[in-house]
Amino acid sequence: MKGLTIQNLTTGYNGKAIIEDLTLAVKEKETLVLMGISGSGKTTLLLTILGILTPTKGKILLHEKDITMLPIEERNIGYLPQDYGLFPHLNVSENIAYGLHVRGTSEQEQHTKLKEMLTFVELEGYENRKIQELSGGQRQRVGLARALAINPSLLLLDEPLSNIDQVTKLEVATHMKNLFAKLDVPIILVTHNHEDAIFLSEYLAIMIDGKVEQIGTVKEILKEPKTPFIKRLLMPFNSS
Amino acid sequence: MSKFFSSKSLIFLLYFLAGCTLFFLVGTILFQYYIALGSLDKVLAAFTNDRILSALWLSITSSILTTIFAIIFGIPLAYVFAMKQFRGKVPLETIAVDVPQTFPPVAEGMIFLLMLGPASPFHLNLTFTFAALVIAKFFIAGPFVVSTVTRRFREIQKSGINLTARSLGANPFQVFTTVFIPMSLTDIAAGSILCWSRAMGELGGSLIFAGVIPFKTEVLPTYIALDAKTLTTGALAATILGTTASMLALVTFKKLTLKGENR
Repeated sequence: MKGLTIQNLTTGYNGKAIIEDLTLAVKEKETLVLMGISGSGKTTLLLTILGILTPTKGKILLHEKDITMLPIEERNIGYLPQDYGLFPHLNVSENIAYGLHVRGTSEQEQHTKLKEMLTFVELEGYENRKIQELSGGQRQRVGLARALAINPSLLLLDEPLSNIDQVTKLEVATHMKNLFAKLDVPIILVTHNHEDAIFLSEYLAIMIDGKVEQIGTVKEILKEPKTPFIKRLLMPFNSS
Repeated sequence: MSKFFSSKSLIFLLYFLAGCTLFFLVGTILFQYYIALGSLDKVLAAFTNDRILSALWLSITSSILTTIFAIIFGIPLAYVFAMKQFRGKVPLETIAVDVPQTFPPVAEGMIFLLMLGPASPFHLNLTFTFAALVIAKFFIAGPFVVSTVTRRFREIQKSGINLTARSLGANPFQVFTTVFIPMSLTDIAAGSILCWSRAMGELGGSLIFAGVIPFKTEVLPTYIALDAKTLTTGALAATILGTTASMLALVTFKKLTLKGENR
């Protein structure tokens, strides 16, 4: 299957399993939002897919290739951490082109890709800006552009809206959703916020205690939440 | 206690004690300038004394060389301490970084004399050489680079930005050169200044291992140590040169550190 397939994955920290025997699939062009409360294992799963944590059991297949034991730098996964992980010593252009630069891409190709990415995230004219001069939303877009510049096989986003202030959140989230619609890669997005999850997801997976408790479209899950806990998670103010 | 003293008098006591400490510390440093002003002609003449100038030159050059070596060898060690987890890391780091900074100076000289002296088990006699000066200074001052840079590397590692760089395709060495080093430049500079300043003042190892050979291995601290007994203006001039250089370096270090904290 084209996309990401996780088979019977067991993973955690320092030998302690947080996720046990998890199976999950995300097709090409699909956006899956992983939602759960703190400690549910969603970030652990993200870090295992990325290659920061090594699973004790199971397989991770990306476009049918087994990447379970591949070093992080060889997985070709675009990753946007919660704080965007931008390099403070580099400007906007240098941040976006970083992945291309370390991969030895030619200057010409870097330049072309950089222009393409700046247009894609609507940051033309910001090439030479310092990261410290950008707003939260602009930083997030630089992080996204940087993750996408490497033509990733998968995009992972960890709480991408948690550092955006409430006033601009809707605008940033709408922009992000529009960008996702234009992408061909499978996307996994992690959040603990029910509003973000409902707004951004196409497909939703609810994680509880290291297991995917329910998976489906937002409509399906909202219509028939499997447990009262899931109902409370998605509709905290209307759960009676 | 507050029954007998009002809070105003207690806070006054606090300020008074702070003032006493400050007066003692700063006053001691400034006292040399006060004495020098009393016999300015003689002190100024001593500044042009060939032996003192040679000791100053040897102090500066050996300390610069020490700092260069501390950067070359210390930064990789800082990377290992910050990035690698292994059994016995804490005691090893304490012995390698903290102990040399507080090592009894004469003991350091003794060890080097046994290790790299006339009876060296490695058949390498470096006593009374410029190399001995640099080695003795490196042992005491090099760890300042290691500790300052390790602290910064740990911050970077904790932020996870190194892993983001790897996800973009950078191998661990590329992450070291494109993330760790450029993000630590202020700290490397601060650690280097601290190292240089400490190397300028190193005495024990220089005295015992490198010896006090004028125009060859005599540095400002050893010149002062031998000349101080007779309280000459030469010793005073050398003291002023050494402490002023150190003060300037440390003020620069503080400025860099504050700049680093605002990053």
